[in-house]
Amino acid sequence: MTDIHTLTALQVHNAFKQGKLSASEIVAASLARITQHDPKIKAFLRVFTERAGKNARMLDEKRASGAPLGKLAGIPIALKDNINLKGEITTCGSKILEHFQAPFNATASRLLEQEDAIIIGKTNCDEFAMGSSTEHSAFQKTSNPWNLSCTPGGSSGGSAAAVAARLCPLTLGSDTGGSIRQPASLCGIVGFKPTYGRVSRYGLVAFGSSLDQIGPLAATVEDIAMVMEVLGRHCEHDSTSLPKGPDDLLSKLNAPIKGMKIGVPWEFLENLQPELLRSFQASLDMYKDLGATLVPVDLSCLKYAIAVYYIIATAEASTNLSRFDGIRYGLRSKRATTLDEIYDYSRQEGFGDEVKRRIMLGTFVLSAGYQEAYYRKAQKVRAHIIQKYNEAFSHCAVIATPTSPFPAFQIGSITDPLEMYLADIYTIGNNLAGIPGISIPSGFTQDMKPIGLQLSAPELSEGLLLQAAHALQQVTSYHTAIPKEFL
Amino acid sequence: MATIDKATIKRLAKLCRIACSEEQEDALLHDMQKIIGYVEQLSEINTDAIVPCNYVASTLSQTPFRADVPGQTLSRDEFLKNAPAHIGGMIRVPPVLRQE
Repeated sequence: MTDIHTLTALQVHNAFKQGKLSASEIVAASLARITQHDPKIKAFLRVFTERAGKNARMLDEKRASGAPLGKLAGIPIALKDNINLKGEITTCGSKILEHFQAPFNATASRLLEQEDAIIIGKTNCDEFAMGSSTEHSAFQKTSNPWNLSCTPGGSSGGSAAAVAARLCPLTLGSDTGGSIRQPASLCGIVGFKPTYGRVSRYGLVAFGSSLDQIGPLAATVEDIAMVMEVLGRHCEHDSTSLPKGPDDLLSKLNAPIKGMKIGVPWEFLENLQPELLRSFQASLDMYKDLGATLVPVDLSCLKYAIAVYYIIATAEASTNLSRFDGIRYGLRSKRATTLDEIYDYSRQEGFGDEVKRRIMLGTFVLSAGYQEAYYRKAQKVRAHIIQKYNEAFSHCAVIATPTSPFPAFQIGSITDPLEMYLADIYTIGNNLAGIPGISIPSGFTQDMKPIGLQLSAPELSEGLLLQAAHALQQVTSYHTAIPKEFL
Repeated sequence: MATIDKATIKRLAKLCRIACSEEQEDALLHDMQKIIGYVEQLSEINTDAIVPCNYVASTLSQTPFRADVPGQTLSRDEFLKNAPAHIGGMIRVPPVLRQE
């Protein structure tokens, strides 16, 4: 079989279970794709050739022995480099963690391996997941497989590019303000942010703790459903981890969506580029053909989402990142001769500009005299936004918006931090409200850049959300397109 | 409306424990002024009657507590693997007290 890379994760898993492919063949094919194609896009920071090969051989032996196989058996998966895998380096795209060896597994990594997935490497990301282009990685810039001079989006840009280039069928990312959905949209694949608390954050390096959520990226909604059945389990190491999620996401995916009400926040979409608006409307028309009803909803409050986010996320980041002090782990400056200098110089040398900017901003909004005006105010507007979402969901089952206000953009073209923040205008609301969101491929621009459609649902409504997303994939073929350099 | 000037940046750099060159301070000043200017738009909304959101949505009320039992996390050796400097099983740092 020479075209393993065109298979979805579910197809790979089935081929393995049925004995049509061995895990060693699957992993070898994925590693060969990485060797051949990754130099063009630089999606991977590290590839676990030996580890993956060994695990594949063990899995083949397990199958031969007749032992029961895990729900993800045989699937090669890559992790965003802010998710710990025991014994391997976790850099978060930062110099400060360049040599940090994870002393324990993230719950997500543990669950994947427990279900016989094979972790093949770590993918590039913006430093500490702060960014929307993956350009803020301290190590390399990742390219978009659809246009190598463009960014893949971010911060999970490596995870999105790896799937889009079909280097592996499934990856994990993390989403604090859109970091799974926006790169999925820009790379023409599916990206899913679950309900806050659905996937354990244990072993995910913290950025904005009230916003962070791990989620999968893949070519199809089916693959997302399959892996969410595994990842959506309760974890006692994360105090925000929800009780066990549904086990039957995959089997219920084909439920008809006839009669489903889809909310559209039209005022919020006023300034959308004409080409993206046309694509958005075409997706809505397809939903109408599938029997869904469109209802207008008011989410005009989301124009404040970015301002709220850049107060709350930076406040939380400034607190979380205070642990990087050059004392216990991570980079310690060689210039430092006193304890104070260890802190000051290690953080100066270890953090990049965007991370410093956010730590400063977060420290400012929490500092004496400003906390009430900024942090407290943002918490109130956040409550207001949650209230508005609840009202909107009283009229509809899911809400449709574009995922990103623009398609993939040139590397180096956005230098103003504020302009970069605006990339997340449509995705940030979900993180503020803790609700699930998914981006699915919904078209291409004239110059063949992917366009994504975002669907959002009330908290805990992952099943419904995946059904709605899957229904569109049944009548479109955008998700089967592979960029021509990666066929 | 907050005024952010060079003195603010110097004070924040100290609070954050990040050493900054003059150039870095200038760049941060420019960006921070712009970003804080942007988030000022929140003052448009009257939030007097709103209770601030301390926890995300209602899901947190459903999260169970784990049993309060002691357990082993990391061993000292495993932990020290990532320490920049250690001696005798402890993290090594420069002297905190010096003779004047």
